Amino acid sequence: MALPNQQTVDYPSFKLVIVGDGGTGKTTFVKRHLTGEFEKKYEPTIGVEVHPLDFFTNCGKIRFYCWDTAGQEKFGGLRDGYYIHGQCAIIMFDVTARLTYKNVPTWHRDLCRVCENIPIVLCGNKVDVKNRQVKAKQVTFHRKKNLQYYEISAKSNYNFEKPFLYLARKLAGDPNLHFVETPALAPPEVPIDLAAQAQHEAELAAAASQPLPDDDDDAFEQNTCNPMKMGSFLRNRRVLKPVHPGGFAEIRKKSISAAEVMKKNPRHFITRPDFHG
Amino acid sequence: MDDVEKAILISFEESAAIDSALKSQALSFCQQIKETPTVCRICIEKLCFCNLVQVQFWCLQTLHEVIRVKYAMLSLEEKDFIRKSVFSMCCFEVIDDKNNNAVRILEGAPAFIKNKLAQVFVTLVYFDYPLIWSSVFVDFLPHLRKGAVVIDMFCRILNALDDELISLDYPRTPEEMGVAGRVKDAIRQQCIAQIVNVWYEIVSMYRSSDLDLCSSVLESMRRYISWIDIGLIVNDAFIPLLFQLILVSGGSEQLQGAAAGCVLAVVSKRMDHQSKLAILQNLQINRIFGLVTGDIDSELVSKVAALITGYAVEVLECYKRVNTEDAKGVSLELLNEVLPSVFYVMQNCEVDTTFSIVQFLSCYVATMKSLSPLREKQLHHVGKMLEVICAQIRYDPIYRDNLDMLDKIGREEEEKMVEFRKDLFVLLRSVARVAPDVTQMFIRNSLVSCISSVSERNVEEVEASLSLLYALGESLSDEAIKTGSGLLSELVPTLISTRFQCHFNRLVALVYLETITRYIKFVQEHTEYVPMVLTAFLDERGIHHPNFHVRRRASYLFMRVVKLLKAKLVPFIESILQSLQDTVTRFTSLNHTSNDFSGSEDGSHIFEAIGLLIGMEDVPSEKQSDYLSSLLTPLCHQVETLLINANALSPEESPVKIANIQQVIMAINALSKGFSERLVTASRPAIGVMFKKTLDVLLQILVVFPKIEPLRNKVTSFIHRMVDTLGASVFPFLPKALGQLLAESEPKEMVGFLVLLNQLICKFSTSVHDIVEEVFPAIAGRIFSLIPTEPFPLGHGTNSEEIRELQELQKTSYTFLHVITTHDLSSVFLSPRSRDYLDKMMQLLLQSACHHEDILVRKACVQIFIRLIKDWCTRPDVEAKVPGFRSFIIDGFAKNCCFYSALDKSFEFHDANTLILFGEIVLAQKVMYEKFGDGFLIHFVTNCFTTAHCPQDVAAQYCQKLQGNDMKALRSFYQSVIENLRLRQQQNGNLVFR
Repeated sequence: MALPNQQTVDYPSFKLVIVGDGGTGKTTFVKRHLTGEFEKKYEPTIGVEVHPLDFFTNCGKIRFYCWDTAGQEKFGGLRDGYYIHGQCAIIMFDVTARLTYKNVPTWHRDLCRVCENIPIVLCGNKVDVKNRQVKAKQVTFHRKKNLQYYEISAKSNYNFEKPFLYLARKLAGDPNLHFVETPALAPPEVPIDLAAQAQHEAELAAAASQPLPDDDDDAFEQNTCNPMKMGSFLRNRRVLKPVHPGGFAEIRKKSISAAEVMKKNPRHFITRPDFHG
Repeated sequence: MDDVEKAILISFEESAAIDSALKSQALSFCQQIKETPTVCRICIEKLCFCNLVQVQFWCLQTLHEVIRVKYAMLSLEEKDFIRKSVFSMCCFEVIDDKNNNAVRILEGAPAFIKNKLAQVFVTLVYFDYPLIWSSVFVDFLPHLRKGAVVIDMFCRILNALDDELISLDYPRTPEEMGVAGRVKDAIRQQCIAQIVNVWYEIVSMYRSSDLDLCSSVLESMRRYISWIDIGLIVNDAFIPLLFQLILVSGGSEQLQGAAAGCVLAVVSKRMDHQSKLAILQNLQINRIFGLVTGDIDSELVSKVAALITGYAVEVLECYKRVNTEDAKGVSLELLNEVLPSVFYVMQNCEVDTTFSIVQFLSCYVATMKSLSPLREKQLHHVGKMLEVICAQIRYDPIYRDNLDMLDKIGREEEEKMVEFRKDLFVLLRSVARVAPDVTQMFIRNSLVSCISSVSERNVEEVEASLSLLYALGESLSDEAIKTGSGLLSELVPTLISTRFQCHFNRLVALVYLETITRYIKFVQEHTEYVPMVLTAFLDERGIHHPNFHVRRRASYLFMRVVKLLKAKLVPFIESILQSLQDTVTRFTSLNHTSNDFSGSEDGSHIFEAIGLLIGMEDVPSEKQSDYLSSLLTPLCHQVETLLINANALSPEESPVKIANIQQVIMAINALSKGFSERLVTASRPAIGVMFKKTLDVLLQILVVFPKIEPLRNKVTSFIHRMVDTLGASVFPFLPKALGQLLAESEPKEMVGFLVLLNQLICKFSTSVHDIVEEVFPAIAGRIFSLIPTEPFPLGHGTNSEEIRELQELQKTSYTFLHVITTHDLSSVFLSPRSRDYLDKMMQLLLQSACHHEDILVRKACVQIFIRLIKDWCTRPDVEAKVPGFRSFIIDGFAKNCCFYSALDKSFEFHDANTLILFGEIVLAQKVMYEKFGDGFLIHFVTNCFTTAHCPQDVAAQYCQKLQGNDMKALRSFYQSVIENLRLRQQQNGNLVFR
């Protein structure tokens, strides 16, 4: 019923529902695909946009009717009525806004109430932004619910086709299906430093496995005023992490004095009066 | 079909065929219906007579919305009617017998209608159970006799109750948590035993006839086990039933899996560990070990695998928690029993299960630390773990070519593997700490077998083996590596001297070089291996490897090796330079394409390595000059030629040329890192002259290409370097450099510019006074025109790149002002040309000192004020020096920042940064007292203490403490004053007015 029977096509097509908190970048994401742009149908009164996006696989062309539920209020429009007959879905959150990740379970529940057992991809968007609030390591929801997770950046096209490829494979029941042609995408608005991204993740893992430094307490002693406040003090206590051009970060076991940082890398000199050289 | 139904159908229609005017008409009609007082009755009526799913869905959705939002406002009869109707629908009853057209909604309804109905049902439970609608569950149970349709609906209701109300997976308000507690208590007390009984009966009855139904029942039961009396499930009836279901051969995998899920819920239930251990022991879990050997891709295997892992996790937890020797023994035995299956699962099942297993094994190994030295059994397990790790980290040979060429598939595979290995290597490192000998022996054997293999087809094996050795290095102390403890003194030389058959492979070559670098400290202590290391890096295993990516990485790693070993490399400089000749030429050659360098691996590291080598003082002076000029002269010449022809560049040419200049600057920059300030300015001034000439040439780039951002950044970096290297002799170049850089005024560029100034000020303090004074007015003008005076907006849509850039600029500006004041340069603010900005600047600093969201910024601002008070308020001529400053400090700063900002709720005393800020605020008072004496004190006490109704004696005590010498006492006293005021403020609401 709710399937758009506009321009019926003679190749397989699927209804894909995109949900997630407002501002997470759902609309930006679907609009990266340029073929979809021409045929998009805009329904401002209900606030759903249906974009037919075509992909070329080794088994032929397929189409995703992307139901972008952007812009709707939680109690406006048809809400979960749009999910009816959804065959696959993307749940989007914004890695720079923690709350949008916290709400992912609720989106998932509301989706599954209407669409039982459909393949779902969880997408963490805006990974191009430098100060993210949700780190890759903190994203665990997909493991509990057997979803696929991808980090994407709609703005830079990073991993754009990954969610579609996963869904196409699941829907076709063919794990070896692949795209034979890259879809035409709008040019990236921000470059993403892949090397830095990979490096960043590797350093994080390395940091996680390092034993906590226990021999550099002296540097911080002046900050502790009361043993009762150690909790927050420990949280605030960070070993200074010099960051080099390109995002390459040094993890050091001991704190490093400002003078030393300055010597090593004047370009990235920051003054921290509480670190004494 | 009536109008309502038509309107609903139209509003659900998304096809282009629907006229948009008609559609919005339909939508507003539906909205109108929603707002009529009788909307619930309308919906229920439609649900009883209409079998169009759109209409059914819309009615249920509306009903849910109305109940959620305004249930309390409905009349008692209305509520009663809704409850009865919804209950009847769920129980498959016909509500209105009089009408022949009545439909039963459950009949043939799609799942989403049933789920939506369950959601409505649960919303009623939320409001009315147990107080108003106490018998809802008890009344429901008899209807289950009607068969599968009602049982299925009952399961959906229980699932919805869990999802919407009980489960802890969703964010809930405190109110919702309260309701959940109430509902759980009531169910536990009233009917859970009956419900469990019904579950048991249904499963027993339908286990051969309706497998789907049984699975559904078990699925919802699984959700409840965590909070009901475990005795209801762990008994002689249910547990045997569950195991029968799991073990039945040729049964439904879904049902087997569901039963396994229930057992996992039992196993994972939080409870006293002694009782838990008894349950675990009695389960005889080994009965199910055989099930994972089947088709590894099946749903069932992953469910059983999860059960085995979950069981192992719990047994380990019991082992850690129980106290008696007896119980410890039992849990250790159970662990030994289950571990082989865990290994099997890890080796054969899917990635997701592996993940939690690795966590478990890491935890196991950590626990085993207390047992060391390990017993034979544990050593066996540890050995097994190493085998599994080694097998798991191996790449699949089918991707060999993709990985070697690093095409799209290769990249993806590598990314996946890097991610996958992280946890496995954490495990490896824990194993290496608990059982170092076993681990080193294992890695040695694996490496030796790789080396002895003559095949060049063992790429993946070699790569894995080297990766293990690398990961091992991460767990070793520097000391262990230096001395070559254990087998290392054999392993490292073997590594350095080896040339694998498959060394042409990208991954092998890379991990080989990484591993040598990892263990380079060993060579530092055993210098006889230096020539071998150099050969490994300089021949076709490293910098001359056929693969571009390997060459790039090799340059970087070689630089790191040089950094560490440079003192030992003096005799080899000549030969190293010779063998790098071609690489150096290639890097700066004119036909370079710009996409070759990206990220941190730009290839300039080879110049850094060379710089480190030739910059040593051990190199004779003449040689040094020769080396350096032979590198700098052609590079500078390249730049000069390009600059001269810049105007003649065609649009196609210019990106290539610009990329080329960038390369050259990076090379020079990297090269200069090896030369110390002492050498360049004191012992070998000739070198300094060369760098000055170079700086002159490179600054010309800013003149010719002022708008090209990458070039600008690169040149700025170089200026930073030269400030560091040339010391004060860089001054003559600064006016030109700063003037050019200041020409651009975008926020991002300003940040870069300020960072450079900060460096200069920090390095030279008052010596750069004139320079800073010269540029300050222009900078202040820019900053005030760019940074908004209002705080940055919060919330959606404010997370944009532009705002982030402005925030960055704001932060850097504060640092700039802070650096100026803390380096004795505050007189810069008072110069005639800067005077115009003084007032604006003071207002901004005060505003930020009181209200900035970042506590560290507040602290910096307070520190600036302290410094300014000290600098400008020398007794006799305060007013003469900065008119109005004294009263601004006493009226504005003292009152608003030192007193009222600390009363604000954003000031949190349990936060360490805030405490430091508070310390500064107290220090500021002390300084003000020193400078202004009683003039400050009287004003402060009257304006703040008295206005806030502080008792007289408190104010008196404050004066006394301030006049004393004990800073600590003053600080803690003032904190108690503030905390008391805040407490009163909380109690009285608005005691403090601003």
